[in-house]
Amino acid sequence: MGLRALVESAGAGLRRRRWLWLGVLGALLVAWPIFIHEVFFAYIATLMLLYTIGAASLHLVLRTGHLSLCHAAFMGLGGYTSALLTTRLGWPFALAFLASGLVPAAVALVVGPILLRLRGVYFVLITFTLGEIVRLVLNEWKSLTGGADGIFRIPPPSPLLVDKRAYYYFALAMAAICVGVIARILSSQTGRYIDSIRESERLAQSSGVPILRFKVMIFAIACGFVGFQGSLLAHFITFVAPGSYTFSESLNLLVMNVIGGMGGLAGPLIGAAFLTALPEFLRGWVELQRVLYGVVLVLVMLFVPGGLIEIGRRLLSTGRS
Amino acid sequence: MSVDLLVPIFFNGMSLSAIYILVALGFTLVFGIMRVVNFAHGEFAMMGGFWLLFLLNWLPLTYWVVLPLAAVLVGVSSLLPEQFVFRPLYGQELPSMIAALGLSVVLAEGAVIVFGVHERNIPSTFQGLFQVGRFTFPEDRLVVMAIALAALAAFWAFVRFTRIGLALRTVAQDREIAEAQGIDTRATYRITFFLATMMAGLGGALFAQIYALSPYMGSVPLMKAFIIVIIGGLGSVPGAALGGVLLGMSESFLATYFGASVAEFTSFGAIILLLVLRPWGLLGTPEG
Amino acid sequence: MRRLILTVYVSAALAVLLGAATGWSEELKIGAVGTLSGGGTEWGLALQRGVTVAFDEINAAGGVKIGGKAYTLKMIMYDDAYTAQGGTTAATRLVNVDNVKFILGPIGSPPALGVVAVTNPAKVIALTNGYSPKILTPESKYSFRMQIPTDYFAPAVARWLRQTYPKVVKVGIISPNDAVGQTLAPLHVEAYNASKFDVVFDEKYDRGLKDFGPLLTRMMARGAQLLELDGNAPGEAGLMTKQARQLGFKGVIIQTGGPGLEEIIRVAGPFAEGFLSYDLFDPTDPGVQGYVKGYHAKYTGPVPGLSVVWFNAARVLHEALKKANSLDVDKVRDALENLGGTPTIFGPVRWTGKERYGINHQLLHSFLISEIKDGKVTLKARVEAGP
Repeated sequence: MGLRALVESAGAGLRRRRWLWLGVLGALLVAWPIFIHEVFFAYIATLMLLYTIGAASLHLVLRTGHLSLCHAAFMGLGGYTSALLTTRLGWPFALAFLASGLVPAAVALVVGPILLRLRGVYFVLITFTLGEIVRLVLNEWKSLTGGADGIFRIPPPSPLLVDKRAYYYFALAMAAICVGVIARILSSQTGRYIDSIRESERLAQSSGVPILRFKVMIFAIACGFVGFQGSLLAHFITFVAPGSYTFSESLNLLVMNVIGGMGGLAGPLIGAAFLTALPEFLRGWVELQRVLYGVVLVLVMLFVPGGLIEIGRRLLSTGRS
Repeated sequence: MSVDLLVPIFFNGMSLSAIYILVALGFTLVFGIMRVVNFAHGEFAMMGGFWLLFLLNWLPLTYWVVLPLAAVLVGVSSLLPEQFVFRPLYGQELPSMIAALGLSVVLAEGAVIVFGVHERNIPSTFQGLFQVGRFTFPEDRLVVMAIALAALAAFWAFVRFTRIGLALRTVAQDREIAEAQGIDTRATYRITFFLATMMAGLGGALFAQIYALSPYMGSVPLMKAFIIVIIGGLGSVPGAALGGVLLGMSESFLATYFGASVAEFTSFGAIILLLVLRPWGLLGTPEG
Repeated sequence: MRRLILTVYVSAALAVLLGAATGWSEELKIGAVGTLSGGGTEWGLALQRGVTVAFDEINAAGGVKIGGKAYTLKMIMYDDAYTAQGGTTAATRLVNVDNVKFILGPIGSPPALGVVAVTNPAKVIALTNGYSPKILTPESKYSFRMQIPTDYFAPAVARWLRQTYPKVVKVGIISPNDAVGQTLAPLHVEAYNASKFDVVFDEKYDRGLKDFGPLLTRMMARGAQLLELDGNAPGEAGLMTKQARQLGFKGVIIQTGGPGLEEIIRVAGPFAEGFLSYDLFDPTDPGVQGYVKGYHAKYTGPVPGLSVVWFNAARVLHEALKKANSLDVDKVRDALENLGGTPTIFGPVRWTGKERYGINHQLLHSFLISEIKDGKVTLKARVEAGP
C-alpha cells in the first residue's frame, strides 16, 4: 500500500469516525501538560482556549449572515462586569461569572432589534459604531470603570487557580462546555433555521418563525458567550482596561473565523488557536511579524477562502487520483 | 455666540471638511462602483503623504508640480493591489473586506519598516499668517482648502462631462447593461480605483502638511470617511461632499462649545440614528 | 639548566591556565521589555539602545565579575505593544522561558503594571518606569522605578514657573483621554494650584484627534496664559503648539513631561520657538557626553533623550550585581536598596518613596528645563526634584 492510499484512507476514516478523533483531541488536550512543564506553554494554551469561546460565539452571528465588528465590546462588558462584581462588591466568582454572560446578553437583547434590522455593510458600520461607543463609555465613566487605567488585581476564581497550569484545565473545561453548547445549537433544528435565514430570509419567513426576534435571540446568546470569555480572561490576566476591547480586538475575532474557515464550527476553533500562537512564533521578527500578518490575511482570502479547514481538506484529498 | 468665536469655528470646520471629503469621496466611489469596502483606503492617503515627502526631498520642482505628482503616483501605486488583491474578489463582500484589511496592515507596517515609526513634519511651503481684521488665518490651511476645492470641482467635471465619467456612472448603475453596451468594465474599475486612491493620496498629502506624517496616520481619515459616507450615503458622491461639510462643521462647533467628548458622542449618536432610520444616508439610494 | 626549563614550563602552564580562566566568560541574560511596535516604538528603541550602549561598555571592560567569574551581559528584549497584556506576556516569557532574574523596562504605565504583576510574585527584579502612582506599592518588593514620576517633578516645575513668570496666573491643560492623560492631569492641577496658579481649563480629547483648533479656541476663550502639554505624545504636543501659535496664542507653552523636544521641533517647525520642556538630557555634562560618544559609535541620528535613563538604569543594575557579588535575587535586591551615594550619570543614587508609596524604591534625581531657541534645544534651568 503506497503512502497516497494510506493518506486517502485516513482522510476517509476521518470523516467517518468523528467521535474517535474528538476523543483523541480531548485526550491530547488533557495530557500534554504532563509531559511539557513549561508554564509559558500553559499560558498561551489557556489564551487559545479562551479565544475559542469568543471566536465560536462570533461564528454563531456570522452563520445568521451578519458581520459584527463590535464583538469585543461585549467581551468587555462581560470582563468589566465580572471584575467589578468581584473587586468592588466582593461577589463570589461563580455568581460574577454568570452575570458576565447575562449583562452582555441583556444589552444585546436591547440593542439587537435596532441593529439586526440592518444587513450587509450597514450592519458592519453600525456595529463598528456601537463598538466605539462602548469603548468611549468604558474610558470616560471613571468612577465606575476606573477610566483608561482599568481595574487591576482581579482575584482568581479560586485560590487553587493561581497556578497557570491549573487555570489551563479550568479554561479547558469551560471552553469545552461553551463550545459544546454552541455546537449543539448549530446541529439542532435551531441551527438549520439559522442556515435557512442566511440563505434566504424571505423563504425562512414563510415557515412562520419571526425572523428578527430569532436573530436577536441568537445574537444575545452569542454576546453572552463572549461575555463569559471576557470574565475568564479577566480573572486570568488579572486586569481589564478599555484598550483590550477595541475595534482591533473585534477584528481579531473576525479574522480567527475567516482564517480558520467560516463553513463550520471547526474553523473558528482552529483560527483561534492559530492566531493566538502566531505572534509567539514570529516573536523573533517583530516588525516583519505584523507585515506577515497582513500578507497571510490577503493570501488566505485570495487562494484559500475556506480558511485553514479548506487547506486541511485539500491536503487530505490529494490522495485521490 | 460671539462673532469672535464663530469665525474661527467656521474656518476650522471648513479646513477639516476639505481634507476629509477628498478621502471620503474615493472611499464612496470604490464602494459605489465595485461594492468593495476598502479598509486600506486610509493607507493610500498615508502613501500620498510619503510620496510628497520623498518628492520634495528629491525633485527640485515647485510645490505646485510636486503635489499633484504625489497624488498621481499614489494612483499608479494602487493599480497593483487593484489587480491582484481586489479584482479577484469583486462581488464578495466579506472576503474583499478582509483582504482590504490585510492590505492595510501590509501597507502601514511596510511603511514602518521603510520609513520608521516616528512622526514627521513636512516643512510647509506656506508658513505665514493671513490677517483679516482681528482674525488670523494660517496660510497653509487656506491653500489646502483651495486645493481641495479645486480637486473636487475637477473631479465633478470629469465625471459629469467626459466619456470616461459617463462610463463610470453607467457601470455604477448597472454593470450588466454597461457591459452590454460595450463598456470595458475592467478598465472602468482600474480608472475608478486610480481616481479614488489619487484623491485619497492628495488628501493625505495635504493632511501630512498641516498635521503630521506617520505610517499609522491612515486610520483617522478612514474613520472619518466611514462616518461621512454613512451620513451622505454609500456610493453617493454629492453625499460625501455634504457629509463632509456636516461632519467638519458640527465637530468644530460642538468641540469648541462643549468639548471634545460631547462632539464625539453626538456624532456617534447621530450615526446610529441615521443608520436606523435612514441607512442609505441623506443622499444615497435605498437598496432593493 | 633543568631548573630554567622547569620554570619556563610551569610559567607557561600557569599563563595558559590564567588566560583560559579570564577568557572564559559565561553569559548573563538580562531581560528587557519595551514598545517595539505601534505608536510608542521610539521609547522602546530608546530603552534598547541605552541599555545596549551600557552593556557594550561593561562587556568591553571584561563583563560583570561575580564570585570570581566573569559574565557577559546579554539583553533579551520583547515587545510589549504598549499594552498591559503585552507587558504581561513579555514578562511571562522572559521569566518562564528565558529564565531571567533581572528585567529592565518597560517605559509606559500600562505595560509596566503588567510586568510587575508578573515579576514581583515570581521574585524577579524589575527596573521599570511609568508615571502611574500604582506602579510602586508596599508589595513592590522586587521592582524599582528608575525615573522620577510626575508627582515628583511637577510641583518643582510649577514653583520654577511661578518664580520665572510672575505675571502668569491662568493655566490650561489639554491631555489625551487615555491612561496617561487621565492619571497625569490631576497631578498637574494639584501642582499648579499649590504654586498659586489658577487652572481655568482642563480637558481631554480622544486619541486620533489631530486638529485641536476647537479645543484651543475654547481654552483661549477662558483666558489661559500658559498651556501645559504633559501626557501628550510628542507628535500631538508639537501639533498643539503649532496650532496654538497659528491661532494667535501668545502665552507660555510647556510640557512638564515627555521629553520629546526633537520631535516637537520637527512637527512645529518655526512655531516651536520658545517651547519649554522638562528634560533629562544635559549635553554639557561630561558623563552624558561620554554616553553620547558611546551612542554614536553604534548608532546614527540624534540621541533619544530617554535612552540616557536606561543607560543609567543598566549601569545601576551593574553596580548592584557587583556589590552583591552574587546572582541571588534577594542579595541583589538588598544591594540595590543600599546603593545610596553610588555615583551615576544623574548624580549619586538616592532612593525615596517610603511616605508616598510605602517603599523606598523610587530613584531620585535632578532634572532640567530646556527651551527651544532658533530651532535648537537649549538649557534653561536646572531644578531639584521633590514633591
